[in-house]
Amino acid sequence: MSVNSVPAVELRHITKRFAKVLANDDVSFTINKGEVVALLGENGAGKSTIMKILYGLYHATSGEILIEGKPTKIDSSKDAVNLGISMIQQHFSLVPPHTVTENIILGTCKGIIDYGTKEKEIQELADRYDFNVSATDYIRDLPVGAQQKVEILKALYLNAKILIMDEPTAVLTPQESVTLMKFVRDYAEKGNSVVFITHKMKEVMEVSDRIIVMRNGRVSGCLEKADTDERELARIMVGCDLEEVRSHHTSDQRPKKERLIVENLSVEYKNEVPLLSNINFAIHEGEIFGVAGVSGNGQQELCEAIYGYLKPTKGKVILDDEEITTLDVRSHIARGIGYLASDRHRYSMIGDMSLSENMLLKASYLDKWVHKGVIDRKKLDDYTKDAIKQYKIKAPDHAITIGSLSGGNQQKVVVAREVDMGENLIIIDQPTRGLDIGAINYVHKTILNEKQKGKSILLVSTELSEIFALSDRIAVIYKGKMMGIYKNGELTTDEIGLLMAGYEIDSAKTGGEDTEKE
Amino acid sequence: MIQLKQEVRTLKKNRDVYDFIIWTVLAIAVGLVLSFSFLPMFGISSIDAMKIMITEIFSSSYSMGNILVKTAPLILTGLAFAFTYKAKLFNIGIQGQFYVGCITAAAISLKMQGHAPGLVVIILAALGSVAGGAFVGFMIGFFKAKFGANEFLVSMMSTYVFTYLNLFLMRTVLQESNHNYIKTDYLDKSVWLPQLIPGTAVSWGIVFSILVAVLVWFVLYKTSLGYRIRMTGLNKEAAGMAGIKPERQFMISFAISGAIAGFAGWIEVNGMQHMMLPDFDAEIGSFGVGIAILANSHPIGILFAALLFGFLQVGGTALGHASGAPPSVIELMQGFVMLFVLMSFFFRRKIEINRLKKLKSENEEVA
Repeated sequence: MSVNSVPAVELRHITKRFAKVLANDDVSFTINKGEVVALLGENGAGKSTIMKILYGLYHATSGEILIEGKPTKIDSSKDAVNLGISMIQQHFSLVPPHTVTENIILGTCKGIIDYGTKEKEIQELADRYDFNVSATDYIRDLPVGAQQKVEILKALYLNAKILIMDEPTAVLTPQESVTLMKFVRDYAEKGNSVVFITHKMKEVMEVSDRIIVMRNGRVSGCLEKADTDERELARIMVGCDLEEVRSHHTSDQRPKKERLIVENLSVEYKNEVPLLSNINFAIHEGEIFGVAGVSGNGQQELCEAIYGYLKPTKGKVILDDEEITTLDVRSHIARGIGYLASDRHRYSMIGDMSLSENMLLKASYLDKWVHKGVIDRKKLDDYTKDAIKQYKIKAPDHAITIGSLSGGNQQKVVVAREVDMGENLIIIDQPTRGLDIGAINYVHKTILNEKQKGKSILLVSTELSEIFALSDRIAVIYKGKMMGIYKNGELTTDEIGLLMAGYEIDSAKTGGEDTEKE
Repeated sequence: MIQLKQEVRTLKKNRDVYDFIIWTVLAIAVGLVLSFSFLPMFGISSIDAMKIMITEIFSSSYSMGNILVKTAPLILTGLAFAFTYKAKLFNIGIQGQFYVGCITAAAISLKMQGHAPGLVVIILAALGSVAGGAFVGFMIGFFKAKFGANEFLVSMMSTYVFTYLNLFLMRTVLQESNHNYIKTDYLDKSVWLPQLIPGTAVSWGIVFSILVAVLVWFVLYKTSLGYRIRMTGLNKEAAGMAGIKPERQFMISFAISGAIAGFAGWIEVNGMQHMMLPDFDAEIGSFGVGIAILANSHPIGILFAALLFGFLQVGGTALGHASGAPPSVIELMQGFVMLFVLMSFFFRRKIEINRLKKLKSENEEVA
């Protein structure tokens, strides 16, 4: 750890507000020279936003940035680069049909380019850091790990002293990750600083000197690595505001029949990390089955595979004794399955169409509102008007476009539709993301109500409070695998946090290390 | 409070339509005035030209009828483009599909006239031209759906294929009996579309065109088929998630678009020209694109846009005859009108966005 008195970067009271969302709320921390800082938090916690402000891609609504102790205004990424700050984005900004050299000198050269010298220069730089990359290779021929090295080289070529890496290991194989970690340590030894944005606790413990945990746009903890462990981190990351909600689930007598059975479901493409591997579970009638996990661990794939939108490579999906694995989406809809996708704008609504037309979205092949190919407008409009009343959707009438409603009201429309479409099974992915408290309560009430009617519900959420409040049983998903299925109440917040981070529960209880299930 | 909001919303909706019409009419007027102001370059006074145009057109029922004659196929090609455009696809090959319709109608009529009652032949010719156009359209959609081909390029190039295929047919099996000219024989009077207004060239074609426009409107907005096509155009992913295969919608919308273009061929051959020639109505496809854009792809709006284009064509021709202005004056006018209408879309959007932005920042201040 550096003993240098002036920190390389100091962020003071940074607040960033997007139209309605508070992405960063009074964030302050420092980054010292020669230090690796891990920025830990769930998706949407504001990690990337604060770093994009430092890199000049966003502008803070308020607050100030000090570089080497001096207040500095960073208006663009060009300013940031001139100050020695570089950021490696999650999605690389490389031009595949160009060579390594061309990509690295892009934006820094003028007039006639002396490729020979540049190539030599870059090759030397690569060799100095033991990067096994040739300056004359084409980007399209390189594996992802090597491409990331090119991104790093780009930063080094610009004399970066502060390197920000956004989820650098997300795309890497374990071996590539190890090399990356080694580089990060080496680079920091030389007096440079690294900010490592991640939601993987294992990496945090491996590489960082100091850990800053973010939650809901705020810094919720700043810890020296030596003073902490995974359990504490998990608790801070997931948040302590859980206890209040989890109460009301006991009344149920054992449910009756198994409605949905998922057997050995896998989605695994050649030479790629499996998206889902060997998922097994069953959902009974009148049961809510919660799937917890940090987002991006295969939740969306699981929902889509059950819904027929994504073809599983292995395994079976059985609904009411009928195998539906290979049927298309249309057949799934016809069998009374509803799916509330997490990305509402992309998959669940058509912004430029009216509320009525959005209600019809999934029923265009059914005879619910269509007779001999002609839409029964009156029936559809009446249904929509009823839904507006029943769900207290704030909309003047059924003919207004859904895009002109607020997010919460859009979600209510979509919920109303899917709940009705799903006569047997409703797949719900992130039902309340981005909603205000009132809308959240309403959606929760609706879900519980549908359960009372005997429907089976698959509830996927990254909000633990939601999972605890609604589910009968809880499964934890990590890297496309089920980490276990538990009754609601069996697990503590700590335990579930560890499961979400990929630790087995037994080893977690004994505080074991490095027993990550691969 | 909610009551008030509701009133504001309905007002806004009406205002949108109202706005659209005002802006478009204004843009058309500006376009026309500007194109007339170019005429002094050819030594013709703008005022005189306008007078000539109006008197020539409205002097006889024949020339007024000609507007309807020109309008009929333009309605159809406009509808053809609009139909794929609703699925966010570009059918640039309407000209080719139109030619397929023309040659099919001509071939069926020529081979069958005299062998069957006239009405039967006319109906068969109509069905044939619709089927031919639909087949060509379907193939373009198929290439797009199965191989991811760029429908813009495929449809555009297909026009050349069918233009030259037509030439080949008109030189060989369908050439007129004396083998002197590259064209087909005249169709027998028995297979002509009946006259609608005596003393003019107006046939039942215009009625059929208007019926097709109404039908297209019905299909697009009142049936599940049209709903799926519009939905695919607006959000392909959501369509997929709703069990609708976007690829299938591509093929369906292209086939219907081609069928409409083919039908235009039948109206022109059996209703107006009564034979097939090379370079026949050579710009009807590109006019269709313009008309659809002018009308914002709405089937009923297309009726009026096509009428405007028909008017300009007849008026321009009259102007040329009476004053010696070059015939390209018509295209100049059409170009200007199109340009200003498109610019009006752009400005309208810009104004709307600015207004929303202002509204939003005001809201934020309140919050």
